Amino acid sequence: MSKELGLIGRRNYLLKRNPRLDELKISFKIFFSNPTAVAGLVITLLYFIDTFLVQFFPWAIGIHDPNQYIINPYNPVPTPPSPQHPLGTTYGGIDLLDAILKSIRVDVEYTLLIVLSGALIGLVLGLVSGFFGGIMDEILMRITDIFFSIPYLVLAIAIIFVLGRSLDIVALSLIIVWWPLYARYARGQTLSIKQMTFIEAAKAAGTRDFWIMFRHIIPNVLPPIFVQISLDLGVVVGVFSTLTFIGFSPTANIPELGYLTSLGLNFVSIAPWAVIIPGLVITIFALAVNLMGDGLRDVIDPRRRSV
Amino acid sequence: METVLNIKELKVWFYTRRGIFRALNGVNLILRKGEVLGIAGESGSGKSTLGLSIMALLPYNAVIIKGGSIYIKSKNTLETFDLFDESQLRRKFSMRKNRRIMNKISNSLSKLRGKLVSMVFQEPMTSLNPLLQVGYQIAETIVAHNSSYLAKRILSRIKVTNSDLKEVLNLVTSSNNVEDELKRYAKNKGLEGIESQILYILGRKDLSRTRKERAILTLKEKKKNFLTMNYLKRVAENRSLGIYSILDRLPFVKRFFSRILLKEGYRRAVELLSLLNIPHAEKVVYMYPHELSGGMRQRVAIAIAISNNPDIIILDEPTSALDVIVQNQILQLISELKSKFNLSFIFISHDLSVLAEVCDRIAIMYGGRIVEVAPIDKIFYEPLHPYTKGLIKAIPKITKESMTLESIPGTVPDMRNPPSGCMFHPRCPYAMEICRKQIPKSIEYNKDHFVECFLYGEQ
Amino acid sequence: MKLWLYIVRRLLLIIPTLIGLTLITFILIHVQGNNLIIAEYLNPHLTGAARDYAIQQLYQRFHLNDPLYIQYMYWLIQVLNGDLGFTRTPIYSGPVTTALALFYPNTIMLAVISSILIWIIGIPIGVWSAVKRDSLFDQSMRVVTFTLYAMPPYLVYLLVLIVFAVYLSLFPISGAVNPLLLQGIDWYSNGISYPTHIVFIDALLHGNFAIALDSIWHFILPSIGLALGGVAGIIRLLRSSMLEVLDQDYIRMARSKGIREKYVINTHARRNALIPALTSFVYGFAGLLGGVVVTETIFNIPGVGYWTVQALLNNDAGGIMGSTLIFGIILVTASLILDLIYAAIDPRVRY
Repeated sequence: MSKELGLIGRRNYLLKRNPRLDELKISFKIFFSNPTAVAGLVITLLYFIDTFLVQFFPWAIGIHDPNQYIINPYNPVPTPPSPQHPLGTTYGGIDLLDAILKSIRVDVEYTLLIVLSGALIGLVLGLVSGFFGGIMDEILMRITDIFFSIPYLVLAIAIIFVLGRSLDIVALSLIIVWWPLYARYARGQTLSIKQMTFIEAAKAAGTRDFWIMFRHIIPNVLPPIFVQISLDLGVVVGVFSTLTFIGFSPTANIPELGYLTSLGLNFVSIAPWAVIIPGLVITIFALAVNLMGDGLRDVIDPRRRSV
Repeated sequence: METVLNIKELKVWFYTRRGIFRALNGVNLILRKGEVLGIAGESGSGKSTLGLSIMALLPYNAVIIKGGSIYIKSKNTLETFDLFDESQLRRKFSMRKNRRIMNKISNSLSKLRGKLVSMVFQEPMTSLNPLLQVGYQIAETIVAHNSSYLAKRILSRIKVTNSDLKEVLNLVTSSNNVEDELKRYAKNKGLEGIESQILYILGRKDLSRTRKERAILTLKEKKKNFLTMNYLKRVAENRSLGIYSILDRLPFVKRFFSRILLKEGYRRAVELLSLLNIPHAEKVVYMYPHELSGGMRQRVAIAIAISNNPDIIILDEPTSALDVIVQNQILQLISELKSKFNLSFIFISHDLSVLAEVCDRIAIMYGGRIVEVAPIDKIFYEPLHPYTKGLIKAIPKITKESMTLESIPGTVPDMRNPPSGCMFHPRCPYAMEICRKQIPKSIEYNKDHFVECFLYGEQ
Repeated sequence: MKLWLYIVRRLLLIIPTLIGLTLITFILIHVQGNNLIIAEYLNPHLTGAARDYAIQQLYQRFHLNDPLYIQYMYWLIQVLNGDLGFTRTPIYSGPVTTALALFYPNTIMLAVISSILIWIIGIPIGVWSAVKRDSLFDQSMRVVTFTLYAMPPYLVYLLVLIVFAVYLSLFPISGAVNPLLLQGIDWYSNGISYPTHIVFIDALLHGNFAIALDSIWHFILPSIGLALGGVAGIIRLLRSSMLEVLDQDYIRMARSKGIREKYVINTHARRNALIPALTSFVYGFAGLLGGVVVTETIFNIPGVGYWTVQALLNNDAGGIMGSTLIFGIILVTASLILDLIYAAIDPRVRY
């Protein structure tokens, strides 16, 4: 039919629209009409840029040793913000600005690792068990129940205890804590999509199971999962830094925001900035990521889309 | 005949993201006492909006345009409000201001709701609170509006003596007009409130004669403690509650007082439900909505609506969610209520056959206006408006031989961009030049038969 | 009758969860091999042949030669008999059960006080936020809760600490109770107070208001910290739940009955809004137990969380095991209670 239309001229060429592209355009329009979401996106990007730079080109912003703090043994007492140290220093004479830039990279990288891995594992397991049901589903439910029955911090602590205390282990323990959430969530979404009539219709038409799973279920399950991921980035960065704050990172001098906060803990009464500023950095990241997640949620919410 | 409701040029528009939705465009309607007025129209014609506007239960994005009025018993509910003018809508409109106006209107009408006007909604399952007992939901309305009546009932039961009750029994067996006699008797003896209780017992179909007599004799109750008696007397005479208003606030103590009225409310609920032919009403009042069937739930909703004898009862598609047999029962119920208690109903439906069963007059709505209003047989046998004619023709008849279903060509107008002039002109087989330009005004073509159409005279 | 069936069914479902819980705890400890057990019970001063002999004895006693599942059985029996092992940390060394009795009460106090605070503050704000949607109150509350939610928990506690204890000097910085006051009290010995183990309640029971007051004074700050952390979630949840409820038909019906708006909100709307929030409350309570770890560390309250952290930092297997088990059991119980409450409140669940 399009060929016949094509004969008539340019105007009908324009009729051959790509519906997917239009949907994408609408998504962008909705997202960018939301000022807080855009702000969130910008701030998050700033953090990512910092991560990227410190990871690959640390010298570009004046960082010489991205994996360690620079201790100044001559003046270990924290000092307030001043021209040489724009954010002040903390215990050990560590310049806060320098430390924060390094720590952001570590935190962001680990958080991304944790959330994405946890989401991936949980997504796959939840999807498969939700779709196929049966005993596999029951077992998964029981397993997630067990994981839910232990407060996450305690479970993380237990795992760290067993496997050793290093930043990687902390991350691993959080992955283990986090995947049941995604499994449950993905399973719930899968189940509710499975109920929908168009799945029945596809089955009636004889489509094979895997095909249904890929073309119908996954595209519908993914958007809420993405939203959840972006919201979780904020939560996980908080939990991760909490764990390091309590002291589960090794005694080595690894730049990380929670650890940085704990350094200033003893001086809380005379040097509150040493404690507040790193915390604030995390807070801003979590805020930005939450705002972005809310914006994303608006995008995928079908009610908002029917403009 | 007395007019209970008079709507003049009511315009209600909705502000949505997709544009201004003109739901009502100048509705003129009159409801008389003791009649059932049906409002027929397709989906989207604005019938539900009409019902909600009378009750002032519109959502926040609804804008009532200046110039319309709703007179409930000769009092204009839309008076004194600074409504938006049509011309102001483009520039001076603000959602916040509208919300404030809608809130004010709603608040001012809240005193009338339940007492003068009440409403029954379409979905009985969702219109009842699933966490509260059915009896509670009926009782709370009565306590809210008519607590003195309940207090009088309790007092009458306390005050009555056994010899009084025996006299009543004699009266009942001997007289013809039991109701009036009882009322007079109760008034003479200062026992108002007892007559309805006695009538209820008499009306029960599940008790034998002797049982009924015994039941009447057990109406006597003991005197309550001093505090409660004082409270009841005050409530019954509508006096100020004095110290009780403070006691009422205390979360623990107030249970004793508000409880007693509520319990009486439950008794009254039992009476109402059995009036509506619900069996075992004493058990039903303690049940929750999800334990009842659809028909019973709808009857509960009707009981709530009629519990305070309102002047106007609006029924918004009450039977659309029910199966045909239950539908029939409910319709019969409405007829009974109308004849027994002289209540006035507005029955909104899209189903003309349902309206045919129970209405006295029918109003046809199209495009946010009432295009024809007439007594029921006139609507069906002598329809005037082309739309009405089309609707009647579209009803499938068993007796007709031909198998084609008649329908009205075209579709319902998009109320965001309504057609100019008469709303129906794009689909009207008799459309004239003037129909495109002007909106026809309502004229009384035959006795009590109003129509808005240029076919029936210049305006 | 049906209610009892429901309860029984629910209890039965707990068993597999508990088994899984104990299994995980057991595996965690024994993954490291037998050295930990030995390290706990071995007298470090032995050397040479005596040491080997002692080790042999320990192997016998703890069946360390047997396959894992048999060890699990023995351990389970041991646990059910009330012996949870031994703990050895700087703040306390001794049987785990005594440690729990020592530390638990403080954690309970914290959790309970903060929960109460969260509910008292959070529920009205959440409900009111929904009722006065988009008002100044609502919008400012949303901003506040959003920010609180984004803060990592320890920052909240630190801020509370800084503002109240350091600058305003209103509350003590650390500790659960002033030890000087406790000298010479007969119902308090070795850190455990009788009869309820909770210092505050016991002080009240014995009529000693000074100690009770002091105890509360120490607990307020961390409770406020915990409460602030938890209240954000509750407000958000209640707000969205309430908004959903207010859209419902039965609210419109209630208004159409002419009931005053105040009653509509309190009697009809609030009840229905609380139900979906209930699940979150309980899991929030559980989360509190987790967050308690951080709070206890910052405020130096000797509770279970603090002990867990110390156990971790000191490689104390018994402590970790004990606390993991206890936390797990609490959560399972809480989940059970939640289901029971649901059955009691929501008539739809019973049938």
